[in-house]
Amino acid sequence: MTRLFGLETEYGITIDGVDRVDVVEESMQLIRCYQHFVPLWDYRLENPRRDERGFEVKNLLNDADEKVHLQQDRKRKIPFAELKSDLIIYNGSRFYNDHTHPEYSTGECISLFELVAQDKAGERIVDICARRRTEVLDQGTVRMYKNNTDFEGHSYGCHENYLMDRSVPFERILEGLLLFFPTRQIFCGAGKVGVEREDRAPIYQLSQRAEFFEVIASVDTMHKRPIVNTRDEPHADAARYRRLHVIVGDANMSEYMTALKVGTTALVIDLIEADCLPDYRLKDPIAAMKNIARDQSHAWLVEVEGPGSRLVPAVEIQDAFLDLARREFAGRDQETDWVLSAWGDVLGKLSRDPMDLVGVCDWVTKKWLIDSFCEAENLAWDNPDDLFWMQSQDLEYSNVDRDEGLYYLLESQGQMVRVVGDDEVAAAMSEPPSGTRAYFRGRCLEKFGDYVSSINWDRIVFKRNGRQHAVDMKLLVDAERVARYNEVLDRSETLEGFLAALEELGIRN
Amino acid sequence: MDKVLQFERRTKPVDPGGPGPGDDGDGGPARPKVERPDTRDLMRRMRRVDPNQARRYRQRTGE
Repeated sequence: MTRLFGLETEYGITIDGVDRVDVVEESMQLIRCYQHFVPLWDYRLENPRRDERGFEVKNLLNDADEKVHLQQDRKRKIPFAELKSDLIIYNGSRFYNDHTHPEYSTGECISLFELVAQDKAGERIVDICARRRTEVLDQGTVRMYKNNTDFEGHSYGCHENYLMDRSVPFERILEGLLLFFPTRQIFCGAGKVGVEREDRAPIYQLSQRAEFFEVIASVDTMHKRPIVNTRDEPHADAARYRRLHVIVGDANMSEYMTALKVGTTALVIDLIEADCLPDYRLKDPIAAMKNIARDQSHAWLVEVEGPGSRLVPAVEIQDAFLDLARREFAGRDQETDWVLSAWGDVLGKLSRDPMDLVGVCDWVTKKWLIDSFCEAENLAWDNPDDLFWMQSQDLEYSNVDRDEGLYYLLESQGQMVRVVGDDEVAAAMSEPPSGTRAYFRGRCLEKFGDYVSSINWDRIVFKRNGRQHAVDMKLLVDAERVARYNEVLDRSETLEGFLAALEELGIRN
Repeated sequence: MDKVLQFERRTKPVDPGGPGPGDDGDGGPARPKVERPDTRDLMRRMRRVDPNQARRYRQRTGE
């Protein structure tokens, strides 16, 4: 592909066999099971309250439940940095306790398939930690879930990040994304048993997250969630770049869907930058998002603006994006062509018979599992006890334990389409993605970690002989500069030599 | 974005036009062909799932 992207996944955590779980404490302890914790993350470089529209909010919103929890959290005696327990791993990723969920944030990637490997490496790391934590507990088994809900109104995210051109007008970004995001769930939704809000209908939904979105655009992420998140935290040269922080998606177990979700979104951002968008506008994107997720007919009709307004299938809108992307980007590189081909194939099958995508789409695969189980056990959707059992199956689909999880049982039977191999996933647990600053971050830690005094996505500070040396990585997003940084790092044997070489290049602050 | 667009990078060797993993013959992804999908194993595993697992599973709101 042609732009930097990454994934951040908040995992659900529980302990089977105990009555009460302190998820804050357990998330912290789980992360520390991976490697020795040294507080290095530099929080001063973060500000999630800054809005892309040119202002800063005083506070981010929280729901009523979380306000109560936060009051209790303030009584904890643990220092902030200890509670967060940020680890930076040699593969360039960040693994930490974010809002009571262990979160794995991949390093920056520019290859879809490397991103999938890095994302799956995160699952493996989380699973290792769960096993180690279980070993030291007096009782119970730690379970980790790559999903987005507890089925009782508490959602947590799988966020996508895309570096994009700052000069693109925000209105055009809105126009493109408000058409694309509500409709893309027809292929990349993870599927969910039940509805958690309003009528709590006993139905199967395409998406785990769709019902949690209430506004068009805002900087919030935990309450009154927006379809387009406006957090302005580029972690790059702010004059040239935005980081599009996408919070609207589900966490995917399917490798194919992770690749297609990120690949199609990257191409849609290309279209937005090129000012080349389909000639549709949804009348009510929030209603469309919820209606598509709940539509049992799979017709997925959405109301579009225009004379008299009319109903259009979501597949038609996705096809319109695909046609433009083919026209503009076909033949550009192998991964772009893979995305264009896969996108067309999946949309074709969705319009004919979605069940042809068992083993490809998470929501279809999960629906097939649940339907098969209901038939075998004679379960009824309108029986609350049966519905809980179905939700338990839904949950187990996302269990990252490869000996227990239903997704992994299907994978072990060869029933899931894969795009990376186990060897690539294993390698990604310690090796950073190639050709981006994630390599620089990971290798700096591996070679000179003893001298690192603080780190963030866009800066590393070394301390040597009482002096601090900051390396600013904000400009480390263009290929030539990345190559120069990485080459200097590879050939440097000492920190002194490394810093001197950077100074020669004129790139050290 | 010019310089970002110039990234010459390693990509997984995928032939988008040719048969790929799970290709079902009409050019697209589909469930991989397995001799006999063993739904007995699946159903056996699913029966072992605690019916109250989701009822007990409570999380705090995240992002």
